Amino acid sequence: MAIELLGYRGWRGDLRSPWMACWPIVRSGLSLVLRRKIFWVLLALGLLNFLFTFAIIYIKAQLAVENPGFAKFLDSVKVTGTGEAYLDFMFAQGTVTMLLLAFAGSQLIGSDYHQGGLSFYLSRRMERRHYVSAKLLAIEAIVLLITTVPALVLYVEYGLLSNSLDYFRENPRILFGILGYGLIMAVVLSLLLAAIASWVPRAVPLVMTWSCIFILLPIVGEHMRNIRDNRIWRLLSLWRDLRTLGKWCFGSLNLERDEDRLAYWAAWIVPAVCLICLIVLVRKVRAVEVVR
Amino acid sequence: MRLNTAHGRLKTENSVRNVRIIPAGCGGNLWHALLQARRAGHNTAMSLFELEQVTHFYGSLCALKDVSLKVERGAVGLVGQNGAGKSTMLKILLGLMRPTAGRGQVMGHDIRGSGVALRARVGYMPEAEMTLPGLRGVEFVSLAGELSGMPRRQAMRRAHEVLSYLGLEEARYRRHEEYSVGMKQRLKLATALVHDPELLLLDEPTAGLDPDGRESMLELLGTLAGRHGKSLILSTHLLGDIDRVCESVIILERGQVVRVGRIEELRATYRGRYRLQWQGQAAQFLRDLESEGVQILADPGAPGDEALAIVPDGWSNRTFFALADNHKVVLRGLEPDHENLESLYHRVLKQE
Repeated sequence: MAIELLGYRGWRGDLRSPWMACWPIVRSGLSLVLRRKIFWVLLALGLLNFLFTFAIIYIKAQLAVENPGFAKFLDSVKVTGTGEAYLDFMFAQGTVTMLLLAFAGSQLIGSDYHQGGLSFYLSRRMERRHYVSAKLLAIEAIVLLITTVPALVLYVEYGLLSNSLDYFRENPRILFGILGYGLIMAVVLSLLLAAIASWVPRAVPLVMTWSCIFILLPIVGEHMRNIRDNRIWRLLSLWRDLRTLGKWCFGSLNLERDEDRLAYWAAWIVPAVCLICLIVLVRKVRAVEVVR
Repeated sequence: MRLNTAHGRLKTENSVRNVRIIPAGCGGNLWHALLQARRAGHNTAMSLFELEQVTHFYGSLCALKDVSLKVERGAVGLVGQNGAGKSTMLKILLGLMRPTAGRGQVMGHDIRGSGVALRARVGYMPEAEMTLPGLRGVEFVSLAGELSGMPRRQAMRRAHEVLSYLGLEEARYRRHEEYSVGMKQRLKLATALVHDPELLLLDEPTAGLDPDGRESMLELLGTLAGRHGKSLILSTHLLGDIDRVCESVIILERGQVVRVGRIEELRATYRGRYRLQWQGQAAQFLRDLESEGVQILADPGAPGDEALAIVPDGWSNRTFFALADNHKVVLRGLEPDHENLESLYHRVLKQE
């Protein structure tokens, strides 16, 4: 229809706080990610592990009375309802998340830099801090959805299928561990991904950089440890550092053990990495010209 | 008038409650007309923007130098060469950047520190392409509305309205990255219009458009400014666009405002120029004209029997005919020389 035949209509109403603009950014970001088939494949991979563990807990609870031998066999699958078991579960889910984020990074963050999305956001009624918070929230939502939420469901399932509700009373640290480890993973991975994607926005270089951090660096660290005979090189593995902090959250950190002795270092390295990522991210976002 | 509440929200119209007290039976159109009338009243009361000795440096590079100007509401063109300071001025007007020195206000909002409140009333259409791959046209515009603070449902409804208004009704469910250049320009305008701002900042709105698309875009901008009371700041290198849409112009050169005002008034300084056409030997005729104080300029590209004449104050056009008659020269044409914006721009730059 010709333009002149259609009247322009004004709009009136209350405008919401700029912080409320975070939600549409999170929502549109997630919907963009979920429109890709590869993300559903990776999500299914994460779901598979969750369903497997969920089924084991259920079967174990059912067979505990009828067939104690089989239940004992199932214990070897390490679904024991202890903090260590949840830590292992979340660690495995975290690996899937890591893969998913490697592919989602360019979609979620990178495209904003090389396709003008950031100018679009920043020319609206919001500041740079709102944009950064929203993007971090979107990544955190993915991480929490794959790691923490399934772990919480398993925790509730385990408690409900035990004979009494004592499981919840006796294991509050597990709940703290699930939330704490999930939060640490969410914050660190979101900052790291947002910072990297702001520098290498395109998919292939981003996946390569991500792989370097989570695959190459641990391998280098392990080699250096063997060559120099110094365990401090193991700290190059950020994934291991996160797990160490996760152990502390679950209360299963044992400083007598060789692999846990670097916990104090890990507790410094992880916040330092976060701080560096935040600085990089803020500088990068600040450098974007809305008017060119 | 808009005002900040304690909760950081913005009321778009603080007088809505008063205006709603209208007799039963009166439709929304009357309500809207009243609102528009109030807005119009409000518009005349306040200038569009005012800058006072605004200076901005990028490191040691001075992008704007002591810019002081007051611009009334309406359609305003912003012209200048590359590096003249147009983008810096747009950033300041959008509240994206604080100037190094100086002060000012845009529609009553201080240019220092009210960026969010300011952008609630300003719509920005950038020159550069902006895409969020995967989103449909209507989702993209709706998202722009939500980011401007509109509730989700209203943003979606408004996105449909604006896209229909801009002629993208049939393409609204297509992914916006698949749009043609013309459609993308309209989509960008839709994202700027979705929250119904009072001021539109348009950066090269006709860039990349074919002649029909350009014509259509200019017509649209003219309608928005003329019929719907939107103020426009049009930054472009295409002076014909400004000539077509804007009433006023700001000419920037090396970070300084060299001319500002209504285009017609700026053209007024060009009065007293005539295009002369004659037949016969005119050498003596032209010499006599010069002796009467008329400045004769050769018009490059014009045939040999044509010239531009700049007459002194108090000149009577009858003298042209009298002198021509004296020298047996037939005066075939005598018409005022209308200056287009391009000539005006070049003349101003030459003077500076």
